[in-house]
Amino acid sequence: MKSIAFGQFYPANSPLHKLDPRIKVILTVLYIVCSFLCKNLLSFALLALSAILLILCGRVPIRIVLRGLRPVLIILAFTALLNIFWTKGEQLLFAWKFIEIYAEGLYAAVFMMVRIATLIIGTGMLLTYTTTPIALTDALEDLLSPLKKLKVPVHEFAMMMTIALRFIPLLSEETEKIMTAQKARGADFSSGGLIQRAKALIPILIPLFVSAFNRAGDLATAMECRCYHGGEGRTRMHVRHVRLVDFIPLLLVLLLGASLIFLNVLGIGFSMK
Amino acid sequence: MAEIKLENLSYFHGKDTPYEIKALDTINLTIPSGMITGLIGHTGSGKSTLVQMLNGILRPHEGRVLLDGQDIWEKQKNIRSVRFRVGLVMQYPEYQLFEETVYKDIAFGPKNMGLGEEEIRVRVEESVRFAGLSPELLQKSPFDLSGGEKRRAAIAGIIAMRPDVLVLDEPAAGLDPRGREAIFSNLVKYHEESGNTVVIVSHSMEDMARYCDNLIVMNEGKIVMQGDRDYVFSRSNQLTEVGLDIPQVTKLMLILKEQGIDVDGGIYTVDQALERILSIYRKSL
Amino acid sequence: MSNPFIKIEGLSYRYDEDSSGMGKHPVLNDLSMEIEEGSFVAVLGHNGSGKSTLAKLLNMILTPTSGKIFVDGKEITDEAMTDEDVLSLRKNMGMVFQNPDNQLVATIVEDDVAFGPENLGIPSDEIRARVNSVLSDVGMLEYATHEPHRLSGGQKQRIAIAGVLAMLPKCIVFDESTAMLDPIGRKEVMDAILRLNREKGITVIMITHYMEEAALADRILVLHDGNVLLDGTPSEVFEQEPLLKSCGLNVPQCTSLIHQLRDAGMSLDGDCVSIEQCAELILQTLNKER
Repeated sequence: MKSIAFGQFYPANSPLHKLDPRIKVILTVLYIVCSFLCKNLLSFALLALSAILLILCGRVPIRIVLRGLRPVLIILAFTALLNIFWTKGEQLLFAWKFIEIYAEGLYAAVFMMVRIATLIIGTGMLLTYTTTPIALTDALEDLLSPLKKLKVPVHEFAMMMTIALRFIPLLSEETEKIMTAQKARGADFSSGGLIQRAKALIPILIPLFVSAFNRAGDLATAMECRCYHGGEGRTRMHVRHVRLVDFIPLLLVLLLGASLIFLNVLGIGFSMK
Repeated sequence: MAEIKLENLSYFHGKDTPYEIKALDTINLTIPSGMITGLIGHTGSGKSTLVQMLNGILRPHEGRVLLDGQDIWEKQKNIRSVRFRVGLVMQYPEYQLFEETVYKDIAFGPKNMGLGEEEIRVRVEESVRFAGLSPELLQKSPFDLSGGEKRRAAIAGIIAMRPDVLVLDEPAAGLDPRGREAIFSNLVKYHEESGNTVVIVSHSMEDMARYCDNLIVMNEGKIVMQGDRDYVFSRSNQLTEVGLDIPQVTKLMLILKEQGIDVDGGIYTVDQALERILSIYRKSL
Repeated sequence: MSNPFIKIEGLSYRYDEDSSGMGKHPVLNDLSMEIEEGSFVAVLGHNGSGKSTLAKLLNMILTPTSGKIFVDGKEITDEAMTDEDVLSLRKNMGMVFQNPDNQLVATIVEDDVAFGPENLGIPSDEIRARVNSVLSDVGMLEYATHEPHRLSGGQKQRIAIAGVLAMLPKCIVFDESTAMLDPIGRKEVMDAILRLNREKGITVIMITHYMEEAALADRILVLHDGNVLLDGTPSEVFEQEPLLKSCGLNVPQCTSLIHQLRDAGMSLDGDCVSIEQCAELILQTLNKER
């Protein structure tokens, strides 16, 4: 549970780590758009290349990046299979009884996998691995701050996110502790039918809720004691000024998008419809 | 009477990950039956991991856990029955309370054992008495109890399974002196009446010195010392070396000894110290 | 003598009655006392004696049923207290609680320490300077960029102290801040508390169960049934061993030993709070007789 790819910051001193988090959030959005612009072999190759460049820029070990992909392996495999067997095209490669595999299907499968993998690597490299959760929530608060004029509680949302990030490892540890305690009383979580298993969760969920509420109460008091009174008049220790160099990656991503569109128009290699 | 024996037991946290840590290192240990055994060691010494081995919550990576000569992991299906025979009270066990009433909560363990209503009632009443909890509280919600009462209700929940061995991880942590006293004196009473083996994990050397017959000292996943109180406390230097605090009176005796008074370091209770100093004093008169 | 830093007059507090039938009983009952600036006061009492309630009244997390509290010459129970007044009170009266996990807000140590000053609207450069200085005060500077949930209990509690210190308080209330720690963690935190008091002159009010910790204070207040039962130096308070025991408290082992030796006829005159003092007393008597 502790190794879920959530706020898995990887400390390093890389250009991506130093980049302004607000820029990184914008970059991420643009990068996602880019990945959906890809339509043919060359553009997907370019996209894959950009993902590799991102890993190099972030100086995160490839082992850790690949581990981040592990949870989606099943989805990757499933979409690949779906594409291979269900895409009908013109170039029939293989046929046996009702199974027909077309070249288009193979291409589509590869494209889909590259798209999902780059999406995860891209957002991971731009956000989770290279940005501390606090910097991330601060950045979101900044970027969304125009909404404050519309009375959207942007600061409160950012605060909630920070607290959630702080308490996720705690609560997962606690779940384990409570499970152990109930197992010691002979609770059985692994046998029986669906209803029985759901029932077996009650001795875990109730203590977990009680403890979460207690913690929330304690934390609220502690925050009040530390003079918390909402976002008004609050300052920040980390002030970020966007530097001119921070715009370079923005230009690069825009360039990437432009090249992708260009490659699509060029239409070299296999194209998706 | 059940005897627990550990043979060449090793356990790793985060096994097969880059963060692998050896939490228990080839432990060989017999927990004497029918006694109160204290397990001491500072945080991270492996004592909490060790107690989770005793009732099969954790499975050893190497070595065996023998309960009355039987490897508890021989038949994995039977592991639940081991948990009923070796009752484990976790640290801050009040987190385990979840039922509507204290009665139902204490009955959770016995119910999992598949016992009948009447048998459960007998056991709940018995365990409430052992835990020193007033029977009037049985129909209350466990969440309305005071901190000390919650702790005792949680302990009763384990005692109600009538385990041959009762293991408690820091049973008095965070309680005030009165609460601590109540927990320990009830445990001693339980031990005397039932004759069962009791294993207590604690940081408090003063409590350990007072209540345990036999002591096991752990450091860095290994057993560094085992023996009766006199044996362990006469080696106070070794205790301080592994980062443990020794009782105040033991410290006092060591200072007196340095100054040439004829006392030894093996004194660990106020009564012993009182007797020793008075006898020296009377002789000198 | 100057005005006391905290002055309490006829303070009473009772919880609103609830379904469980508790709360009809007043938690604090007509309590009056004063605390000098820069002093180190330990507050003892068994669970339910009103210690924690008192702590929460001191910085207006709770409001009293009746009575007055003055902090730094200002009446905080005054109806006319503005929001700014409350903030400035809380800035000056820091609080450190029992469970270190439930008082840290941020996922990185230095961000957590910055939380208080950020709320107070302190300029960024100064927050940075304060964070570094208070982290080194509690010996945690090298952990500035660590995640709190990977630290030990004692370390987390020192981060919590740093977080309060960063607001530059005049007084810090420790509400059983060592209760959940192991002996090593307890010592780390006690050392930090003593340093704050001795070197920075911060007034410390420490609620605790541990007599060995209370023995380090300048003054001990024993609360019982919502009122002050004993008030004096550790030596004076520990003299009352039978009274302490009757309300569920204890004295340190060595002190108890000296009392029993006295009862048995040995003449041991002098303070017997620390182990060293007790050893000294015994040595004097035994050597005299030789």
